[in-house]
Amino acid sequence: MKLEALADRIGAKVLAPGRNTNVDLDQVYAGDRISDLLSAAGDHSLLVTNLASNHLVRVAELMDIPGICLVAGQVPDPAILAAAREHGTILMVSPLGLFETCGRIHRVLSAEARAAG
Amino acid sequence: MNATRYEIVGGDYERGGAASRSLKEQLKKVGADPAVVRRAMIAAYEAEMNVVIHAQRGELRASLDNGQLDVEVADEGPGIADIEAALRPGFSTASAKARELGFGAGMGLPNIKKNSDRFAIDSAVGRGTTVRFTIVLRPQALYGAGRNSLHIVAEQCRQSFRCIHACPTQAMRVFRGKPQVLDYLCVDCTACIATCPSGALTTRGTRDELTPIPDAVLVVSPPVLTQFGASIRPADVLAVLAEIGFGEIWVTWAAEEALRNAIVQYAETDAAARPVISPACPAVVNLIETKFPSLIPHVAPFLSVMEALRTELDGRRAVFAATCPSQRTAVLSDDAPSKPEVVLPAALRAAVRPRLHSEDAGLPPRRAGSGPALQGSAGVPPADPNRDREGAEGVTDERVLRATGLRHVMSILNAIEDGLANDLTVVEPWACDEGCFGSPLLADDPFLARRRWTPPPDAAGPAVTRRRARPLTPRPGLRLDDDMTKAIGKLARIDKLRRALPGCDCGWCGSPTCATLAEDIVRGRAAADACVRQNPAQETTT
Repeated sequence: MKLEALADRIGAKVLAPGRNTNVDLDQVYAGDRISDLLSAAGDHSLLVTNLASNHLVRVAELMDIPGICLVAGQVPDPAILAAAREHGTILMVSPLGLFETCGRIHRVLSAEARAAG
Repeated sequence: MNATRYEIVGGDYERGGAASRSLKEQLKKVGADPAVVRRAMIAAYEAEMNVVIHAQRGELRASLDNGQLDVEVADEGPGIADIEAALRPGFSTASAKARELGFGAGMGLPNIKKNSDRFAIDSAVGRGTTVRFTIVLRPQALYGAGRNSLHIVAEQCRQSFRCIHACPTQAMRVFRGKPQVLDYLCVDCTACIATCPSGALTTRGTRDELTPIPDAVLVVSPPVLTQFGASIRPADVLAVLAEIGFGEIWVTWAAEEALRNAIVQYAETDAAARPVISPACPAVVNLIETKFPSLIPHVAPFLSVMEALRTELDGRRAVFAATCPSQRTAVLSDDAPSKPEVVLPAALRAAVRPRLHSEDAGLPPRRAGSGPALQGSAGVPPADPNRDREGAEGVTDERVLRATGLRHVMSILNAIEDGLANDLTVVEPWACDEGCFGSPLLADDPFLARRRWTPPPDAAGPAVTRRRARPLTPRPGLRLDDDMTKAIGKLARIDKLRRALPGCDCGWCGSPTCATLAEDIVRGRAAADACVRQNPAQETTT
């Protein structure tokens, strides 16, 4: 599933469009432990987190992570937005909390996997 | 890019990661492959953030040379009081602020170690910490097969599946009821032979029988002379061997002592890295090349005893009584000017036993003057095993730590790699228990056999050591695909498959772990539905 389509399906608002909108998502990492994120995520991952911080965008850039989804309707610092724009990372915000956001993502991806057979 | 330096400011979380980012751009410029860049970024970012979290200031220095990336991150921080604890996953001393930001999971150093090919840490409380790591960039060459001597008798396999779990390099598979070995991973260590209950795994000599070659040198090591029980001394066995008919018999004992002394001297004078690791056991050397390439500089640059003796032959024919596959491989390696013959312990036993029991009360027949250089041993009463043993077990030098048995060898090599064994001078690791006495091809218990070894008074054999002409090189494994892009694609598929497998590493599919099965499936060695737990029907067909 494409990241923009996913944002639409889970009701998240895209704040920074991202350079590569054509990425097919194959993995989601939810959490805030940077070390685990480094090990787990790759260039087809979406990072779902409640940590709206600058270094998160930095990690996304270092690890070629194409998208970040913030939760609970957080309004990120303008610096973070600028960094995401500059690096071409897609940045979206879900109005729901971490648990509910992940639940929706899981439902959408499962439905897609079933449809694909 | 030769060497580049980047400043790191402690406590500056806003800019933390800037050094890693610059490094990434450099790596992309030189066309490093994405999988390597990824590993480099994990290691560099963790190291950089360690400085931000714990120190006032620091520096990341990176250099790219000889196809490898060397990174050094040094700080003027508080230092690490307990490095061993710091290397343990989950251990952290990070501040509350760092933890709020998602750091301090205690995975920093373990993550760096996991993602680099070489890793070292140096720290002193009050002075600071330096982390060094190396990542090899070179596309991995296809490793030439045929450098091992494991022989598989497939029809003997009863599918105990023990070998796949015993192998330290995960080289064994049992697919479709037959054991197989991945040559490029096998280090010739005997672990699978020792654990196989049905004799499906063994090794073969170039000759199946010890037949006389009058002008040849027969080379034997202490363990083959102590596998005849309590009442037969090494000198008795030597006397029998002398009767069989060889020009000369060399016992490796003198060369073993000479090698040990040469290594201690090397360690005290011009060692490249300490502790120095003895290359006496060829399987351990293979293991280091395969699993611990960062320890190659620690290996003393000498040939193993049998390899050194081979250079002494001067064109004469020779029969080496090898005790294990790794000795066989070493003796027959391409460097040999002329290929000697190899016999294994079973052939030697078969030749010696009938002669031991043919005449009086289990003692060998004795005819004065019948053998070369061994006349003096006839008629000597049985030695008191507790006397005259000084030096018989080899290591009397307290600077040498002798470690035997694969499990212990692996943990000590890990400790050296982690910088936790810097108190040692020389380590002499042997893959088998009690050294070569523990080879599963021998008949007696390793401890009994070693206890029974007393150097015969007139055992002959050159006390030779030889420097290694060709340096050891890391064994890079087998490329996933010649095409780098396809290889990366396969890597991603392996990763995805692995995550879909149960992760129990039960081995019922015939592959040692779920991760190795994922690789086997992508490489086409195993069927896509090979997992027995996910596809219970498989159980009856494997």
